[in-house]
Amino acid sequence: MIKRILAIIVGAGIAGGAGFLWYAWYPALPKVAPPQPGQFSAAKIERGRIVAAESYCVECHTRQDIGGGPRLAGDYKMVSPFGAIYSSNITPDPETGIGNWSEEALRRALRYGISRDGSHLLPAFVYDHFTKMTDADISDLYAWIMSQPAVHMTRRPNGFPLSISPRFTLAGWKLLYFRPGVYQPDPKHDAMWNRGAYLAEGAAHCGACHTPRGLLGAEKVPDEMYDGGAVDGWIAPPLNDKNPTPVVWTEDELYDYLRNGVAPLHGPAGGPMSPVAHDFLATVPEEDVHAIAHYFADVDHAAQRVGGDKAALRTAMEQSKRDLAGSVLSTDPDARLYQGACAACHYNAAPMPVLGRPELALNNALWLDEPTNLYLVMLRGLTAEEGQSGVAMPSFYNALSDHDMARIAAYLRRTRTTLPPWTDLDKKAAEARKLVEEPPVNSSH
Amino acid sequence: MIKFKLNGRDVSLDVPEDTPLLWAIRDDLGLTGTKFGCGVGQCGACTVHVGGRATRSCITPVSAIEDAEVTTIEGLDPAGDHPVQEAWRDIQVPQCGYCQSGQIMQAASLLKDYPSPTDEEIDGVMGGSLCRCMTYIRIRKAIKQAAAAMQSKNSGETSNG
Amino acid sequence: MGRLERIAAEQDRAAGRGLSRRGFLSAAAGSTLLFGFARQTKAAQLYPPGAPLPPEEFEPTIWCSVAPDGTVNVNIIRAEMGQHIGTALARIIADEMEADWDKVKITYVDTDPKWGLMVTGGSWSVWMTWDVFRQAGAAARTVLVEEGAKLLGVTPEKCVARNGMVIAGARSISFGDIVAQAKPVRSFTPDQMKNLPLKPASDRRLIGKEVKALDIPSKTDGTAIYGIDAKIDGMVYGRPKMPPTRYGSKVVSVDDSVAKKVRGYLRYIVLDDPSDTVPGWVVVLASSYPAAIRATDALKVEWTPGKTAHVMEKDILDHGRMQIDGSDGGTMIFNDRGVDDAFKRAHRVVEREYTCASVMHYQLEPMNAIARLKDGIWEIHCGNQWQTLFLPVIAKSLAVPESKVKMMSYLLGGGFGRRLNGDYAVPAALTSKAIGGKPVKLILTRSDDMMFDSIRSPSVQTVRVALDEKNTLIGMQHHAAAGWPTQVMAAAFMQKGVDGKPYDQFAIAGADHWYDCGPVRVRALSNDLANDTFRPGWLRSVSSGWTPWAAEQFWDEIAHEIGRDPVELRLSMLNGGGQDGRNKGEAPDSVGGALRQAAVLKRLAQKVEWGKPLPKDTAIGIATTFGQERGMPTWTAGAVRVRVDRKTGIVTCEKIWLVLDAGTVVDPDGAMAQTEGGALWGLSMALCEGSEIVDGVCKDRNLDTYTPLRIADVPEMDIEFVESTEKPMGLGEPGVTTIGAAIGNAIFNAVGVRLRHQPVRPADVLAALKEKSST
Repeated sequence: MIKRILAIIVGAGIAGGAGFLWYAWYPALPKVAPPQPGQFSAAKIERGRIVAAESYCVECHTRQDIGGGPRLAGDYKMVSPFGAIYSSNITPDPETGIGNWSEEALRRALRYGISRDGSHLLPAFVYDHFTKMTDADISDLYAWIMSQPAVHMTRRPNGFPLSISPRFTLAGWKLLYFRPGVYQPDPKHDAMWNRGAYLAEGAAHCGACHTPRGLLGAEKVPDEMYDGGAVDGWIAPPLNDKNPTPVVWTEDELYDYLRNGVAPLHGPAGGPMSPVAHDFLATVPEEDVHAIAHYFADVDHAAQRVGGDKAALRTAMEQSKRDLAGSVLSTDPDARLYQGACAACHYNAAPMPVLGRPELALNNALWLDEPTNLYLVMLRGLTAEEGQSGVAMPSFYNALSDHDMARIAAYLRRTRTTLPPWTDLDKKAAEARKLVEEPPVNSSH
Repeated sequence: MIKFKLNGRDVSLDVPEDTPLLWAIRDDLGLTGTKFGCGVGQCGACTVHVGGRATRSCITPVSAIEDAEVTTIEGLDPAGDHPVQEAWRDIQVPQCGYCQSGQIMQAASLLKDYPSPTDEEIDGVMGGSLCRCMTYIRIRKAIKQAAAAMQSKNSGETSNG
Repeated sequence: MGRLERIAAEQDRAAGRGLSRRGFLSAAAGSTLLFGFARQTKAAQLYPPGAPLPPEEFEPTIWCSVAPDGTVNVNIIRAEMGQHIGTALARIIADEMEADWDKVKITYVDTDPKWGLMVTGGSWSVWMTWDVFRQAGAAARTVLVEEGAKLLGVTPEKCVARNGMVIAGARSISFGDIVAQAKPVRSFTPDQMKNLPLKPASDRRLIGKEVKALDIPSKTDGTAIYGIDAKIDGMVYGRPKMPPTRYGSKVVSVDDSVAKKVRGYLRYIVLDDPSDTVPGWVVVLASSYPAAIRATDALKVEWTPGKTAHVMEKDILDHGRMQIDGSDGGTMIFNDRGVDDAFKRAHRVVEREYTCASVMHYQLEPMNAIARLKDGIWEIHCGNQWQTLFLPVIAKSLAVPESKVKMMSYLLGGGFGRRLNGDYAVPAALTSKAIGGKPVKLILTRSDDMMFDSIRSPSVQTVRVALDEKNTLIGMQHHAAAGWPTQVMAAAFMQKGVDGKPYDQFAIAGADHWYDCGPVRVRALSNDLANDTFRPGWLRSVSSGWTPWAAEQFWDEIAHEIGRDPVELRLSMLNGGGQDGRNKGEAPDSVGGALRQAAVLKRLAQKVEWGKPLPKDTAIGIATTFGQERGMPTWTAGAVRVRVDRKTGIVTCEKIWLVLDAGTVVDPDGAMAQTEGGALWGLSMALCEGSEIVDGVCKDRNLDTYTPLRIADVPEMDIEFVESTEKPMGLGEPGVTTIGAAIGNAIFNAVGVRLRHQPVRPADVLAALKEKSST
C-alpha cells in the first residue's frame, strides 16, 4: 500500500528541486467528452476492475476521515511535514474528476506522472511503479474508471504554504530518481514469476511501503529493494531474506496472507496491510495472487531458507508455552501480566499454531527492530474486517498503561525471540499511543 | 447504526462506535449473562465468542465487530446444554458464579482448539480467566469431562455414519 | 412470604420475566432492530428459576411453605455469594420435614423486620440457622402428619412422613394433596417450635448427602441475576469520581466543560452525606454506563484532601509497633493470672514480630447498587451481606426513618466480606435523592472499587513466650495491632474483653488459642491510623486469616528453639488444659475442646507422613487452627509441601493437605468447595497478593499489578472431613486459616530461612537466603 508514506516525498522534492524548466514543461492534453455508457465491453470493464483492484486505486482515492467519502472521489488525507495533502477525484465527473481525460492522458499520468493539464503530479501518486503498467492494462483501467459513477466533489485544498510551488521542483526530483518505462520480463524466470514481478513492482506498488526511502524520499532501489519501510507509523517489514521471522514466508504463507489476510504461521495482516488483502487481492483472480506470492517467495529466498523451519517452529512452539503452565506463583510479574491479558488467545501448544491463535513467537512484530507494530496492534486491536475475517482482537488502549505495554513487549522479546532487548519501551509506548488519534474503545481502566 | 449477529440473530444498534461490546450486550440488548469484571481484559468475566473465538467484550468496541457473529453464554447452546455447561453442572463448578459465563465461553473455545486438552493446555488458555472463589480444581475437572463427552459423542456419530 | 412471592410473581408477569432465555430468543426472532428483553428488576430471587408457587399454600412458620402442588419453598435470609447457602439451609428444613427434594425451591428474600438479623459472614449461616430450621421443619412435618392422618382416616401415630408423602401402611397421601384438601392453617410460636420432637441423626436423609445446589444451573446459562444485572425502566447510570482520600476530602470546585462533550453525559452531583459514609464523593450521571465512564474521566474536580493524604503502609505498621510497645493500650482477650510473673521469672523470653500487608477483596462483581424512591419507600437493589447494618446507615444518609428503606436481594458476584460493608449503597441513594428519587444505577469501575476497597488491614503482631531453665513454657503473650472493621462500621457489635473494654473480635480471633502453655495474655489493639486512612474491611476469615501467620509460625520457631518437633510440641499443648478449664470445650459448639484440635493434627501428620525425608529444598510445613472463632470452632489442621528455588527465590506450593472437624457436614460437596476455595485464598494471600497503602489510598487498581492466584498456580489438594454428628460449624473460611503459616513453616523446613512478612515475595526469600549464608 502506498498510503500516506509518499507524502514525505513532497517536501523532499521541494527541497531538492532545481529549475529544470525545459525538462519540466509538458503540454496540456485536450479535453475530451466523457465516454458514453456502452462504449466499453463488459469484458474490458471487468479486466479494468481487476487492474484497479491490483493497484488499490480506491484506497487512496476515497476519503476516510470525517466519516468517509464517495468511492474514488478523492479527498483522502495524507499528512506531510509541509501540511496535509488530499488525493484527486478520479471519478468521471468532468468538472471535479477526470471525466474529460482521454485514455492518453491517463496513460501519460501513470507512466510519466504528468496531469492532463501538463502539471507534474506529486509522487504520492506512485508513478514510479505505475510506469511499469502495460498499455493494455491502462486501457482496461481507463474503461473501468470511466464506467464508475461520476461524483461532483472537490477535494480540500492542500495545506502547503503558498510560497512553495511544487511544479518545477518536482521535475528536478523526477530527473534524479524517476525512470519511466513499462515492465520488461526477465527471461531468466518463468511466466508466473514475471507475472508476479510485473504486478508487485508495477500496479501493486509493494515497494512503496516495503522499500526504504532516501533523504529525498525516493525508494532506495535496487540496493535496498524490499528491505522494509514505514507507513502510517507502522513498520512495513522486509519482504526479502532480511525478514526476521524465524520461519520463512513461503509461497503458501504469502498466498494465504495476501488472499485471506491471515497466514497460518505468521498471523493476520494488521494496519494498512489489511485492506490490501481484504478489499483488493481477495477480489482478483487467484492466479494473480499466486503469482505475487511466487515472486516474493523467490525474493525472500524461501526455498534456500526453508530447511530450518521445522526446528524454528518447534522452538517457537516451546516458547509459546513458556511461563503459562504449572505453578507460576510469584514468578516474573510480567509473565503474569501476559498470562492475564494475552495468553488466553495467544497460547499455542505443539506442533502447530491454531488458526485464530496468532503465534507471537513467529510474528513479524516481535522480531522487528522496534516494537511499533506490536504496540499499534495492542492499542488498536483488530476489527472483524481486518486480519482474519470475522475474528476481532480487543483494543487495549484503555486497558494497558504505557508501562504495562512496555512490560509485555519486554517480556515477549526476551522470552519469544533470540534478539537483543528493545530500548526505551515506555517512551515508545507513549509515542505509539499518540499515533492513535482517539481511544478506539471507551472502557474503564 | 452498527449491525452484527448476536446468537444467530441480526441486530443493529445506534450507539457510539467506541461503545464496548460488553455494555451493548448487557444494557442495550439486555443479555446480562456476560459480566463486567476488571474492564481491562484481564479477568475473562466478559468473554463472548466473536467468529467462534473467545473475545474479551469489555475492551472490544462495537465498531470492531461490524457484521461479525457474536455468541454469548445465552446463545452457546439453544437449550443451555452445551457439553461444557453440562459438565459444569455435574461437577458443581460455580460458587458465586459471576466469572462462570466467561469461564464456560473460554472453555468451549478451548475445546475447539484442543479437543482433549492437557493440564498445560488448560492452564495456558484458562489462565486469563480469574475465579475469585477459586473454583479452579473443578474447572479443570469439568473441562476434561466435557472433552470426554464431546469426543465420545463425536466418535458415536462417526460410527453411526 | 406466600404473599411476598405472589407479589414477586405478579411483578414477573407484568415484566414479562416469565419468558425464559429460550423464550426470549424465539420471541425476539421477528424483529431485527434494537431489541432487548424487558426484564424488569425484581427481587426475592427464586431458585431454581421457574414458575413461582401457586397460591393458597400452607405456611406453618415464616421460614417455609408448602403449595397445593407439593412445592416446598424455603425462605433464605442469607446472601448467596457462592456458598450455596440456600441449598444448605433448605435441606435442613427439607430433611426434618421429610420433603421431596425435587420439589424444593428457595427464595432469597428482601429485607423485612420479621426476618431478624440479616447478616451473612463469619461462616455463621449454617451454625446460626441449624436449630431454627430443624424446628421449622419439624413444625411443618407435625402438621402435615396430623392432617394427613385425618385424610387417611388413621391416627397420627400410625403415620410416617417420607419424601413428600404421609404414609400409613400401604396407603399414602402427598404433602401437596394434604395442603390442597385440608387447607391447614396452623402456625407455631417460637416457644412451641422449641418443644417439637426432632429426628435423630441416624434418620437424616438429606443432611450430609450429595445434593445438587439449586442456584448452580442458573449460573451456567447466564440466567442468574446479580445486583449489577438489575434494571429499572428509566434508570440513569452513575459513576463516582473518587476524592483523594477516603475521609475528609472536601470539594472545592467542579468543572464539567470537557465532560459535557461526552455524548450521553447528563450532570454531576456533589454528594451531601449526613452519614459521612462517602465524604467528598462526586457522582457523574449519564444515559449509559460507557458515557458515565468517559464523562467521569473528563470531569475535573478539585478537592481539599483529608489529613491522611500522605499516609504510607509503613507509617501504619510503625504506628502498630508503637502501640504494641506501649503496655497500656488495647483490650485484653485473655489476661491470665500469673502471666506477668511468668515473664518476670523467665529464664529466657523468645519474642518475634510478624507483619501482614494490606489485602484486597477483588470480588469479581464491582460494587454497585440501584436506588430509587417508589411509593414512599427507598428501594436499594444490590447484593449485600449485612442488610441489618446498612439499612440504618442508608436511612441516615437520606434523612428518613429506617422503615422507609428496603433492600432488595440479588445474587452476589463474590462477597468475601466486601459486601458486609454496604458503603456503596449510600452514593446510589444520595444520587437518586438528588434527582428526585428517580432510579439511578451506580457502578464503580474496578479502579474505583480498588482505590477505596475495604481492605484487610495491614497488621503487626508480636508474640513472645517465657521459658524456664528446662525450656518449659511458663507463659505466653500475643499482641496484635490492626485496623478494626467492626469498630469503624458496627461498633455496637464489638465484644468486651476480660478487662471490660470493647474490642473487635474480627481483628484478634485466632490468637485466642486452645493451647495449654502457661498463663496467656492476648491483647488486641486498634490501629487508629489505619482506621483513619481507609475503611478497614472484613475479608474472608478475617483475623483468623492472619493471626495464625504469627501464632502458628511462632510455635514452629519455639519448637526449633527448644529442640522439639513442631507437631509433637503442639500435641503436647492441645491437652484440654489451660486456665479456668477454658480449653475443655463446651456443649453444644465446642464439645471436646482442644482434644478435637489435637485429633485433626494427628490425622494430618499421619496423612502427610510427617518426618519422612523429601528431596532437597523441598519440605512440608504444618499449622493448626480452630477455624474461624473460639465460640464456633472448626478444628483445622493444614499442611503444604513447597519447593524453594534458591536461585530465584521462587516458592512453589506443590500440595496442600487439610483435615477438618466441623461437626456435622450438612452439605458435603459445598463444604468441599468452600474449603478448596478457602485454602487457595490462603495460598494466594501468602504468595500472590498483598497490596500497600500509598499516599492514603490503595496502590493497586487492577489486575496489571494485583495478581491473585490463577488456574495454573493450583497445587494438588487433599481435603478430609472428620465424620461427626456434633453441631455443624462454619466452613466458608477455615480453609484459609492454616495455609499462610504452613507455607512459612515449610519454607523454613526447606531452606532454613524464616519469612515473617506476608506476602512472601521471591526477593524476600533471596534476601533471607543471602543473609543466612553471610552469618
